[in-house]
Amino acid sequence: MIDVSEYTKLYGDTVAVQSLSFHVAPGDVLGLVGPNGAGKTTTLRALAGILQPTSGRIEVAGIDLQKSPVAAKARLAFIPDEPQLFDYLTVTEHLQFVARLYGVHDAAPRIPTLLEELELTAKKDALPPELSRGMKQKLAIACGLLHRPAALLLDEPLTGLDPVGIRRMKETIAARAREGTAVILSSHLLHLVEELCTRLLVIRRGRMVAFGTIEDIVATRPELAGRSLEELFIALTGDEPATDITAS
Amino acid sequence: MNVDTSLAIEARQPAPARALLFLLWRSFANRLRSQVARVKSPRYIVAVILGALYLWWALFRNTRAGSAPLDSMLRSDITAVLASTALLLSSARWWIFGADRSALAFTPSEVQFLFPAPISRRGLVHTKLLRMQLAIFVNTIIFSVIFRGNATQLATWERALGFWMLFSTLAMHRVGASIVRTSALEHGQAGRRRMLVPFAVFATLIGAVLYGLVVAIPALRVASAGGIKPLALAFTRALQAPVPDAALAPVQLLLDPIMRAGSAPWLISMLWAGLVVVGHYVWLVRLDSAFEEAAVEATQHRAERIQRFRASQMGQARSKKGKLVSVPTLALSGRPEVAIAWKNVVAALRGGSWKTQLVSFVVGLGVLAVASRQASDRAGDAFMGVALGWGAMLLFIGPLWMRFDLRLDLPRLAVLKTYPLEGWRIVLAEIAAVTVLHSITIWSLLTVPVVMFVQDPQLFLESGATVPILVSIVVGVPAFNALMFTIQNGTALLFPAWVRLGTESRGFETMGQNLLTTGATTLVAAIALVFPIGAGALVLWLANDWGGWAVLAATALASAIIVAELWPVMRWLGSVFEHIDVNEVATTS
Repeated sequence: MIDVSEYTKLYGDTVAVQSLSFHVAPGDVLGLVGPNGAGKTTTLRALAGILQPTSGRIEVAGIDLQKSPVAAKARLAFIPDEPQLFDYLTVTEHLQFVARLYGVHDAAPRIPTLLEELELTAKKDALPPELSRGMKQKLAIACGLLHRPAALLLDEPLTGLDPVGIRRMKETIAARAREGTAVILSSHLLHLVEELCTRLLVIRRGRMVAFGTIEDIVATRPELAGRSLEELFIALTGDEPATDITAS
Repeated sequence: MNVDTSLAIEARQPAPARALLFLLWRSFANRLRSQVARVKSPRYIVAVILGALYLWWALFRNTRAGSAPLDSMLRSDITAVLASTALLLSSARWWIFGADRSALAFTPSEVQFLFPAPISRRGLVHTKLLRMQLAIFVNTIIFSVIFRGNATQLATWERALGFWMLFSTLAMHRVGASIVRTSALEHGQAGRRRMLVPFAVFATLIGAVLYGLVVAIPALRVASAGGIKPLALAFTRALQAPVPDAALAPVQLLLDPIMRAGSAPWLISMLWAGLVVVGHYVWLVRLDSAFEEAAVEATQHRAERIQRFRASQMGQARSKKGKLVSVPTLALSGRPEVAIAWKNVVAALRGGSWKTQLVSFVVGLGVLAVASRQASDRAGDAFMGVALGWGAMLLFIGPLWMRFDLRLDLPRLAVLKTYPLEGWRIVLAEIAAVTVLHSITIWSLLTVPVVMFVQDPQLFLESGATVPILVSIVVGVPAFNALMFTIQNGTALLFPAWVRLGTESRGFETMGQNLLTTGATTLVAAIALVFPIGAGALVLWLANDWGGWAVLAATALASAIIVAELWPVMRWLGSVFEHIDVNEVATTS
């Protein structure tokens, strides 16, 4: 569903991401993890068509993102870590706006369902400045889910949510994956990654240092067996030279 | 606590003034450094060269010949009276309707760092005043250069000092008005009582000005028969009568150093204006003390309250009763770019209260049209002239004010780029909405001729030119607006680091920059209009009809050529939009 091949992003002489290649199949939830400044957001933004890759190829649902950006973008949704909403549109109007933008034919019945699923019904006529941080996050996610994207890109999706909201959000993401959506989730919350993700992509300084299931990763580094994901993360992203651990 | 620790704490006594100066200086230096760093890009290099040439032309070469009329205009009684009335009304607006929302606004990071820090409110006010000085200095330079020249009887530095005092006083007054209104909002009944005094003062001053005009109505009526100049003179004389003159005196004291001829009278006027400046400063500081005494809440609470105050100023998305301002419904299916245009219309209706302003504008114009036509035919003609002049001016300055387009949305560029639409469609939708809104605003000025037509149809039908010209205006305005908004949006897309994004106005202290920006935009528009106007003129020449329906044909052709010119520009801007780096915009938003 999402195919990335030799994706590289340079800012002048600075290498943000180098030669990143991976594949996310329908129903897969890929956890994109790495320390601050590793290139996670740059990668997600390139996958969303926001940043132009310096080189490499990105395909969404078999469509080349560089050659046919409109068709590719119609099949994906990107939820940034900071919800970017329009101050003068209500919650419902945001969804109506997105429905028109993405040509969602069954928007009329879907909007109330999504509002209910994300516990936004009571706030459907509220403007973004009247919403809490968590509510704004839920609205951004509702907007992303409305057009049933084939690929869902989430950057720190749980920021600002209360415990009940976190649980509901996890259910929502898992449900989309079960329906066949390819999900890429970037988060520092390793327990969330462990619980939701089927595979991990660990990057450090713009380079892939591990890719695969936790079992795959441990199989290539037997000394990490039995350690928690947090210890695994620290071992993989620490200052010592990382061994390239990738599994298909 | 042992002695060493207490000594260490004593050595770390807070020095807020130095910290604030450090913040201001480093922010300025780093901002300048990042702006200079951008000039490495070829796009910005070309812009810098063109901008330098334009500034040289606009500020230096262009003013030498015109300095004598400018100087005499500055020193005329009409300018003095009209300028002081305008300034009085502007100040009254800050008190009665609320100061410009940016007057007291601090950035989120300033709120986060400064408000919980051990800095008094007085320190914060000083920070605000100091930061305003940068814009004031720039404006002082611009206006001083414009009004300089060999025929001017004041040295450039003398007039510059006058401009600086005027702008600084207005800045202090705006901040003061904003503080008092904030206080009133936060202190309920007691605050409202405190507002009564300034409200009464300004009501009295405006009442005095209105009294002067009402008393002079017969003279104004007689003068109106003579045309605009006698009418302006009659207004001036009416406002020079003792009662309105007394009301305008404090403002005139501030304007005097700019308008005086000769150094000796200038020095005396400076002393008086200096008193007004110092008076404002002392008032602001004392006001600050009074506010500090009244506010006993914790610093954090204060920051929260100010944030709440700022939030309450975020447009008029809801009415006072909490009802949402109604907007047109968006159909869920159809062309996707319509959704973007609709969103911007909603922003104008809810964020800019455009509809309310338009309705008040139309009603006001209608009433004045009836009143002026009933006064005399000349007064009616004069008012029609004023309405057309205002419309012409709006065509140029309106696109600077109305910013419900890419300038509103570029801070959310990352979201815009995820939309499944080609770049040019997004740019087109952004420009289309604001073009329609601004065209409606300008068309609303046609209320004047329409009302006058209803009053006396014969008057219009007698002249064969009036109706074709009015219809031509209706046809030509959207194309012209599209051109002007394309220039504004194109500039924002090409130079996001240099263009102010968002909708907030920045008050009078950026008036000079706005003047220069309007000039530059007009120059670009003039180049784009060479061919359309040439083709239109050709039609009129071939038809040999300069006042009939050929005007409409010429306008339609010119409009069509403008649209044809804009089409490739739109495709190119779309490509710029697709390739623009979000980081370039993010740093300026």
